[in-house]
Amino acid sequence: MLKFFLTRVALTLPTFLALMFLTFIAIRLVPGDPVEVRVGERGISPERLAHFRHELGLDQPIWKQFFDYVRALLHGDFGVSLSTNAPILHEFLALFPATIELSFCAMLLAILIGIPAGAVAAVKRGSLFDQTLMGLSVAGFSMPIFWWGLLLIMVVAEGWGLTPVSGRIDLIKFYIEPVTGFMTIDALLSGQKGAFADALHHLVLPAIVLGTVPLATIARMTRSSMLEVLSEDYVRTARAKGLSPFRVIGLHALRNALIPVVTVIGLSIGGLLAGAVLTETIFSWPGIGKWLIEAIGRRDYPALQGGVMLVSSVVILVNLGVDLLYGVINPQIRHGR
Amino acid sequence: MAAEALPLEQAAPPGPFAAFWAAFSENKGAVFGLIVILAIILVAVLADFIAPYHPNEQFRDFVRLPPVWAEGGTWRFILGTDGLGRDMLSRLIYGARISLFIGFAVMSVSFLLGILLGLAAAYYRGITDTIITRLMDLIMAVPSLVLAILVVAVLGPNLLNTIVAVTIVYLPRYVRLVRASAITELSKEYVIAARVIGVKPLRLMLVTVLPNCLAPLIIQAALGVSDAILEAAALGFLGLGAQPPLSEWGTMLADSREFIRSNPWLVTLPGIAILITVVSINLLGDGLRDALDPKMRRS
Repeated sequence: MLKFFLTRVALTLPTFLALMFLTFIAIRLVPGDPVEVRVGERGISPERLAHFRHELGLDQPIWKQFFDYVRALLHGDFGVSLSTNAPILHEFLALFPATIELSFCAMLLAILIGIPAGAVAAVKRGSLFDQTLMGLSVAGFSMPIFWWGLLLIMVVAEGWGLTPVSGRIDLIKFYIEPVTGFMTIDALLSGQKGAFADALHHLVLPAIVLGTVPLATIARMTRSSMLEVLSEDYVRTARAKGLSPFRVIGLHALRNALIPVVTVIGLSIGGLLAGAVLTETIFSWPGIGKWLIEAIGRRDYPALQGGVMLVSSVVILVNLGVDLLYGVINPQIRHGR
Repeated sequence: MAAEALPLEQAAPPGPFAAFWAAFSENKGAVFGLIVILAIILVAVLADFIAPYHPNEQFRDFVRLPPVWAEGGTWRFILGTDGLGRDMLSRLIYGARISLFIGFAVMSVSFLLGILLGLAAAYYRGITDTIITRLMDLIMAVPSLVLAILVVAVLGPNLLNTIVAVTIVYLPRYVRLVRASAITELSKEYVIAARVIGVKPLRLMLVTVLPNCLAPLIIQAALGVSDAILEAAALGFLGLGAQPPLSEWGTMLADSREFIRSNPWLVTLPGIAILITVVSINLLGDGLRDALDPKMRRS
């Protein structure tokens, strides 16, 4: 068991190292001198330029620069944002809860609708419900979510006036002290009447938009996995024993059918963060995705570098966690097939 | 078993293509997708003849006209005009050309590179395999759009760099697929037999092994086209893809975002174009999977 854990953890180390190398190289390939970007276009005296280069470590040999970069990262120093002069880790941690909150709600929505819908479609295979759901799911995972978001804003938020257009809470009505960074929790903690409901209200549309692709994937996956399980011997046995259809499907079939679905959910965290970039941009949701896009707009390359490094690290760590969890649940994986 | 009992004048078994078509055409959605995507390809190829106007021609007296069915629409501009008085229909038609070009360019390059790297990793194993696999793991660890954004930020936003960025993002899927199926095939007896009679490595991998890895690769390629179109449109929407005045669908959407209240069709139409294209390709891909890969057949 310990050996399995250590091997899996060790296997991610080269990926981390390569990631550091990638972000290090990428920023050096950006056209334009980082010093000039920093001091502006007016130009400064050669001595000051040399001073800046020395300060940024740019006069060092390239391998030394990389070594320094890795050492800084290991000390939790992800650089300083050019536009705000704040440490990037600090900015990231302040904005990350917003992204987690949105992604979590989107995933919750996708699971709560996708699994039952997929299971029912499998049980009632070929029915109108099944056909409609499968048609919708093709549309769902083909959806350009940036357009889907605009469409929902247009119809639901502006046309029918059912939800707010953007943001996380009504800033005019409520002042929420950021405690956890999760708006729904902070709203509850603040004790202001209606704040929690307002925060949820702001979450609905973005969560639907971000949850659409995972919802379609989960529904399809559940359906096909369920169809396979329903023809297994143990399900036939359960039926033959005279168990109620509800017990057969809910207890015996669905539980086994969910194994591949859980895999898909675990591995979709990267896709979710990619979708968050678009969703946050559309809904002005102050999370990591919007921050990254704005960093590009401001040519804030250190923020982009640190942001990519941090976002990818999160994905690697979550995938590692999922992997280890499988090892715990499924001894077959632990002992190498 | 019963084969000997069959009468001798039994018709010859259907050829591989006929068998494929029989399985493919069973799936009505796939046939529908094929027809729609062929129509879109035709429109894209014949854009110069079909489009009423040049995509960038500005009719300053007809700015933001609604489509013909809405009040104030005119047959002169069937789908209306955009903020600069450009004909929407013509722009969407030329946009099909750009989106399909991106989709097929990304697919072809990643298909070829995927075969090359995948076969190399499977044949040499050892250090070559480790380097290629680790590199692909790294690419997969960075969320797709974030990696594409990083690549575009470094190279600069334009159509060519969009293709480069999206190719990098989707390359691992092809490489891993080729590598996995090639490794399986390499341990089979027909490959060992080919080795024993002295088939050279290049011929062994390309002629003996590769054809037997193609089925999943073709399915991946079909779905890869739609993924590439979506990803490129997303980059265009963020202002990091094809640049105006190119009428790439995502770029068109971003261009007209400010008119979302006053002229909703400017935002609606390009999105519908993307959705129809991607849905058709995905339906087609599903059909290919059913027809080519009996193991993964939709139950």
